Amino acid sequence: MAGVRGPGESRASAMAVEQDMFDAVVMADERFHGEGYQEGYEEGSSLGIVEGRQYGTLHGAKIGSEIGCYRGFALAWKCLLHSSTGEKDSRKMKVVEALIALLQHFPYGDPTYERLHEDLDRIRGKFRQLLQSSRTKMLRWQDLGSEMWACHACHILPWI
Amino acid sequence: MKDSLVLQSRVSAHPDSRCWFLAWNPTGTLLASCGGDRKIRIWGTEGDNWICKSVLSEGHQRTVRKVAWSPCGNYLASASFDATTCIWKKNQDDFECVTTLEGHENEVKSVAWAPSGNLLATCSRDKSVWVWEVDEEDEYECVSVLNSHTQDVKHVVWHPTQELLASASYDDTVKLYQEEGDDWVCCATLEGHESTVWSLAFDPSGQRLASCSDDRTVRIWRQYLPGNEQGVACSGSDPSWKCICTLSGFHTRTIYDVAWCQLTGALATACGDDAIRVFEEDPGSDPQQPTFSLTAHLHQAHSQDVNCVAWNPKEPGLLASCSDDGEVAFWEYHQTAGL
Repeated sequence: MAGVRGPGESRASAMAVEQDMFDAVVMADERFHGEGYQEGYEEGSSLGIVEGRQYGTLHGAKIGSEIGCYRGFALAWKCLLHSSTGEKDSRKMKVVEALIALLQHFPYGDPTYERLHEDLDRIRGKFRQLLQSSRTKMLRWQDLGSEMWACHACHILPWI
Repeated sequence: MKDSLVLQSRVSAHPDSRCWFLAWNPTGTLLASCGGDRKIRIWGTEGDNWICKSVLSEGHQRTVRKVAWSPCGNYLASASFDATTCIWKKNQDDFECVTTLEGHENEVKSVAWAPSGNLLATCSRDKSVWVWEVDEEDEYECVSVLNSHTQDVKHVVWHPTQELLASASYDDTVKLYQEEGDDWVCCATLEGHESTVWSLAFDPSGQRLASCSDDRTVRIWRQYLPGNEQGVACSGSDPSWKCICTLSGFHTRTIYDVAWCQLTGALATACGDDAIRVFEEDPGSDPQQPTFSLTAHLHQAHSQDVNCVAWNPKEPGLLASCSDDGEVAFWEYHQTAGL
């Protein structure tokens, strides 16, 4: 006969069973609260991941589009200045090349890059500098009919 | 402390408007003022009186926030809320606008010439600091756009001898910049103020920098070079800046300007409580932990906020101040006997 119990033991275990029964009732509120919290937490986490992914895609695309514009602008100016020989133009070329170098070194595939915002700010600053100095060039290209194109390059950038 | 700051003269520089800033020319003979009326006025003495010698209008479409004389005294730069900076060339009593620098996205808050006269710095509400280079043909080229601050940049000032630039911002920090290779970089950030830093001033030697803030304190910072005796840590070859003194409990409102006299070492402050205060370093105080005492406190120096204080660069004790009330006042500061 397995589990033979003495008289004292069976009274203790009967009491334990009674206590568990009351326990279930008394602790019901807390238990449901805990289960509810757990369910909510899990649902919230998965919703959060979905929202985060959407936000990341949107934000990443914005940055990509911004950088793409700067790259196009810089490469275009590189072509325009390619055959120029003046001292002013060679200084502008240095700025163009500095911007292209910054864009090339930017780690597009790593959103956890620790200096992401710092580097983006450097790129934006270099672009603004190029924009400012190339304004002179744009005016001079006016009569060659490229003013339309040059000005258009600025209008397509909503953050200017 | 009584009678140590005495009024010499008062002029209604920008009537029905605010007077925002004052700048003495390098020889101390002329004072430029600028204001909300979009004009710049040049003041000079005629006998005992200060009179307006020139009015520079038609330069800006909005408030002129700051003016700065070039080290040679032949040019005046003006920073305006219309997002441009004008460069004026002096021809005897006349001034002609020779260039307009554009590029900032919104209000330009400050402009400053480097001691060499070849560089100019501007800063703006667009959070950026721009460094411009001037060539022999008076052509200006932007050599750097610095996006280090995270908020509106209020003031820029150059070191008296080195090509080191300092900026103060609404983001509660002061940043320092220098040239590294082909570009300008932020080489230090001074944190400590608990609110907007409104203005900056280097001491005559350039070893210390004073900053004033909306948190009602003036902080004194000291530069420590790598390998310094005091054992202050530096990263690499960049100098380190440490706050060595904080003047608190003296001002009851925002401190809008601080000026460090290059002749006497006295520190003047312009406060939103309409008062002007002067501090002097206690003789014999430890250079690494200096103490300053209040030597003059003029209540109601103006009828509204005092926006700027400027020490004359040649005449010791001559101080000019301006206010939201549109007036410019000239003061004589005397060190009280026994100090």
